[in-house]
Amino acid sequence: MAAPVSVAHTHVHSLRLASGAEALAARVLLADGTAGFGFTLNMDAGVARDMAAWDALGRSRAVPLHSLLGGSHRKRIGIENDENPCIPPDWTALRKGILDNKYDLLRIDPFAWGSLEQVVTIAAAGAAFDLGIALLAPNAHAWEIQYCAALAATLRGEDSKVILKTKAKENEIKISNLPGIGIDWSLEPAFGKIQWQS
Amino acid sequence: MAKLGIASLRLTRVSIPLTLVHAGSMYVIQKAERTVVELTLENGVTGLGDTWGTPEVYAMAGAFGKAWIGKDALDRFALRSATLGRSNYDNKYGRNGRAAYAGLDLAAWDAVARSLKLSLAELIGARQRESIDVVSTLPAAILPKAVSRDELTKHLDDLSNTPKVVDFAQAQARKFGFRSFKLKSAAYSPEWDWKLLNELREAMPSARIRFDPNANYGPATATALCKRLDPLGLEFFEDPTGELEGLARLKSAVKTPVATNMWVVKDEQLAPAIRRQAVDVVLGDLFMWGGIDALRRMAKAAHAFGLKPALHSVYETGIATVANLHLASALPEVEYPNDASLHFMSADVLKEVQEVKNGAMTLPAGYGLGVTLDRAQLEKLTTGCTAIGD
Repeated sequence: MAAPVSVAHTHVHSLRLASGAEALAARVLLADGTAGFGFTLNMDAGVARDMAAWDALGRSRAVPLHSLLGGSHRKRIGIENDENPCIPPDWTALRKGILDNKYDLLRIDPFAWGSLEQVVTIAAAGAAFDLGIALLAPNAHAWEIQYCAALAATLRGEDSKVILKTKAKENEIKISNLPGIGIDWSLEPAFGKIQWQS
Repeated sequence: MAKLGIASLRLTRVSIPLTLVHAGSMYVIQKAERTVVELTLENGVTGLGDTWGTPEVYAMAGAFGKAWIGKDALDRFALRSATLGRSNYDNKYGRNGRAAYAGLDLAAWDAVARSLKLSLAELIGARQRESIDVVSTLPAAILPKAVSRDELTKHLDDLSNTPKVVDFAQAQARKFGFRSFKLKSAAYSPEWDWKLLNELREAMPSARIRFDPNANYGPATATALCKRLDPLGLEFFEDPTGELEGLARLKSAVKTPVATNMWVVKDEQLAPAIRRQAVDVVLGDLFMWGGIDALRRMAKAAHAFGLKPALHSVYETGIATVANLHLASALPEVEYPNDASLHFMSADVLKEVQEVKNGAMTLPAGYGLGVTLDRAQLEKLTTGCTAIGD
């Protein structure tokens, strides 16, 4: 379930965030000239490219991500903070944990699981077993929180939430209706300075 | 594109004669009744849907549709919650409600896909296959006309009638290239079913054959019959008996995979089926599951837990048949051939003929479903019409 787009060009760029941490930013250029962007702070370019392709599709059709996936179950999503670990990206362990009633909530780092497809599949499993989804923004970066909010729009269940390890500035975030994945790229000045290859 | 508002709906109830007499354990019929949905957006784009044509479902779709006018087709999740409630407990309309909703939902997905210039498969997730293998239904018996249950059972008492079904299957294979068949069972005579399936296997050694008594054999009878049938290497036993417990006991006694389209039709039935190891295959029916998102969710969750999702259908128009082709293309989890019975419908409501060639059907090109309504043909088949919002 990669974004159904015709990709003309892909470029992944490393950038230094204001915090000093390193991130990867990806740009996917569609055949129609639309550009979409993605990022990761865990240095896995795959997740950034996957995100950028979905962003490009949303931008090219002038709709937010949730409209491409079927709709939105909520207008806002709660943000909480705790130190509990997330479920490692391992389907065998996840299946066993669900069947053993190990989880009250499926705590998922969407960046670690690698693609939107994985999140959609975990959400489907959660729906079958009546388990809510908690999306962890591993570095509590504003981009991560915004991407988690974009994904959270499509998650069923009252338990769904975004979780940070550190204290959040806000206790909820509005679901973006901007085209694409709804990330405010201007939050990191370095992003605007990237020289994207054509 | 902030919103794709729904401007109007038109529901047309149609009755389409079949080219065969369908005999199974639930009914003997010679016609299919469907509700065709046309959903027009404020941007002028019209999406097509199709669902059951019973009076109850037709009336429910009309009642639901009135509340859809002015709503945003981009947000199908909100439409489902508003129509059927947030949980299955809230759904006071039951199975008919899910079917009525699914017809409207399909039209909304089609309208949105057309508006976004995507095929329906792409909007569901991806367009990964252009050709989808399909399964031909085989009636439990070959009858000259629709008959009562008593007359059917008299026919089944005469085991010399079984070769007629074999001849029928071979004719379908010659005409359409079918390699996969679903034998409907009247669930009256295990001896009839055992003899007929042995004859089918002998006549078509490489064919994929599924056996479907629609859960009308009791668990003990079904288990005894399926144990005898095990050596035939059938594709799967589809609802050989009823309820998850009965299916689980039967499954533990046979090697042939066990499938259901009747006992896993909601999210909350999937987990017990997985935990109980009741089935190998979940045959998802767009109308029983209540729309595209529910079916997509089932396919992904079932596959994640080692079950095989597949697509069920019965005597649908070209609209729903093509929708199932898009679903199969979009969901890599679906590996089994799709049920299909359009080749037994004497007429269709689409301009483009949807043919079975070499046992497969091809996804139409174009946005959305990629098909257009044949209004003149629709009018010939119409038994009722409801316009909403015009």
